[in-house]
Amino acid sequence: MAAREGHETPSEKPPMRSEEEKKDESMLSPGFRSAAAMAGWDEEALLLASLIVEDTPLRESRHKKRPGFLSKTPSSTNSIRKRRSRRQSPGSVPAVVLCLDDEQKDVQEGDGVKRREEGDGGVDEKKNGGEEVSGEKVSENGVPCIDRLREELSCAICLEVCFEPSTTPCGHSFCMKCLKSSASKCGKRCPKCRQLISSTRSYTVNTVLWNTIQLLFPDEIKARTKCINTSSPKTSLERRIRNTINSNARTTISQAPRAIARDDNNGSNRRRRAMPSQSEDAALALRLQREEFMEAFRENDNEQQQQPRNASVYTARNNLRAMASRAVNFRRRGRFPYIID
Amino acid sequence: MSSSSSSTSFAGGGGVRPWPSATSVSYSGKRIQKEMMEFNANPPTDCSAGPKGDNLYHWVSTILGPSGSPYEDGVFFLDITFPADYPFKPPKVVFMTRIYHCNIDAAGNVSLDILKDGWSPALTISKVLLAIRSVFTNPDPYKPVMPNIARLYLTDRTKHDEIAAEWTMRFAR
Repeated sequence: MAAREGHETPSEKPPMRSEEEKKDESMLSPGFRSAAAMAGWDEEALLLASLIVEDTPLRESRHKKRPGFLSKTPSSTNSIRKRRSRRQSPGSVPAVVLCLDDEQKDVQEGDGVKRREEGDGGVDEKKNGGEEVSGEKVSENGVPCIDRLREELSCAICLEVCFEPSTTPCGHSFCMKCLKSSASKCGKRCPKCRQLISSTRSYTVNTVLWNTIQLLFPDEIKARTKCINTSSPKTSLERRIRNTINSNARTTISQAPRAIARDDNNGSNRRRRAMPSQSEDAALALRLQREEFMEAFRENDNEQQQQPRNASVYTARNNLRAMASRAVNFRRRGRFPYIID
Repeated sequence: MSSSSSSTSFAGGGGVRPWPSATSVSYSGKRIQKEMMEFNANPPTDCSAGPKGDNLYHWVSTILGPSGSPYEDGVFFLDITFPADYPFKPPKVVFMTRIYHCNIDAAGNVSLDILKDGWSPALTISKVLLAIRSVFTNPDPYKPVMPNIARLYLTDRTKHDEIAAEWTMRFAR
């Protein structure tokens, strides 16, 4: 800061002096002026200090412009150039050079002004651009930078616009669901920067971000909520399966002992008791899953949509496969005790 | 003993996640599809990738050997397999083209941190391919899977580069 001020003060002096010179051209003889030039300008500046202080609006305007200009271009090249020119000017050809110097100053000043104008223009353009952008945005829901916004607001895990975004302590936002599954499957680290996410912290929705996203991408969010709603019956179906299985298991467990007790009076009752019910459950689940599969297939036929159909067929097929393997496992396990016995 | 083990295994399978969650497969499928679209929109330099046939989980990719490396002008084919819980588990990347490189074993397996423990669900295939490309130019001889190649790389770099270029000529054109 001090250095900058140091730059500023010497660069401010010359225009004043030259200004005075121009002004007093009529008053001072050329001889005096040349002598003053030879002697150096600081003295004269001191002599004319009073005049400088109460001077014309022209200087004031210059005075005002200068710091602004300097602050706009932080590089000191300009002031250095000025200092150099000032250093040269008194020595070589005083009077004329002084005028030239002034002109140079003017040119430089002009340059500065031009540059400033350019700068201002740039700023103005930017402003205009911004206004245009915002104007367009207002007019048709953000056309120009909506893609960038989408990129910014998308979750790095599912690559879609964040749904119920949750923000990590390190400042990265993901869908809450994605973040949760990431934490459970890949460890409690931020997927973006690998910073540790404290395990005690419960994930919360970043409401401001969520509202913003809802405002910016209403259609996508609607589609996704719809998707979740349509998929929730599936999960409820799953829950139903689980419940029926649990209740089945309970009933079979309560019924089974007698039958098994009749079979043999070994100590391994409990084990064997559970096994048949489990395989039954698996069979039931398989049947339900098959129903679900058929349902999904029928729905998709009606919808005539390729993508969801494929996806649901995938899931259904996968589920079926998993169920089958599980049933086989259960059966095997169910047999185990007999083999051991 | 058998009773307890069977019951715990049942609890493990049935208590926490009884069925493979229906959303997970479609989730990974969605994500892979999204990635494919993004990849096609702006593919990384000298890389290409896409599903092999109509299986979204099995991709084929090519990487052109970066210029300035002994693998220059080579076309390297890679096999990418996505796991069912994809963004949460890394994809398997295998070189189908033979390559003389200390971080790629004879079977084509790439030893890359981000494909193992360093995986993050925020990584994408395009980032993985870029990482592999950078391994072309900057092999890591201190964590080699081919110790002999790494030794040669450290002791006689020109010889190593010669052999690598020769292999590229022979296998990757």
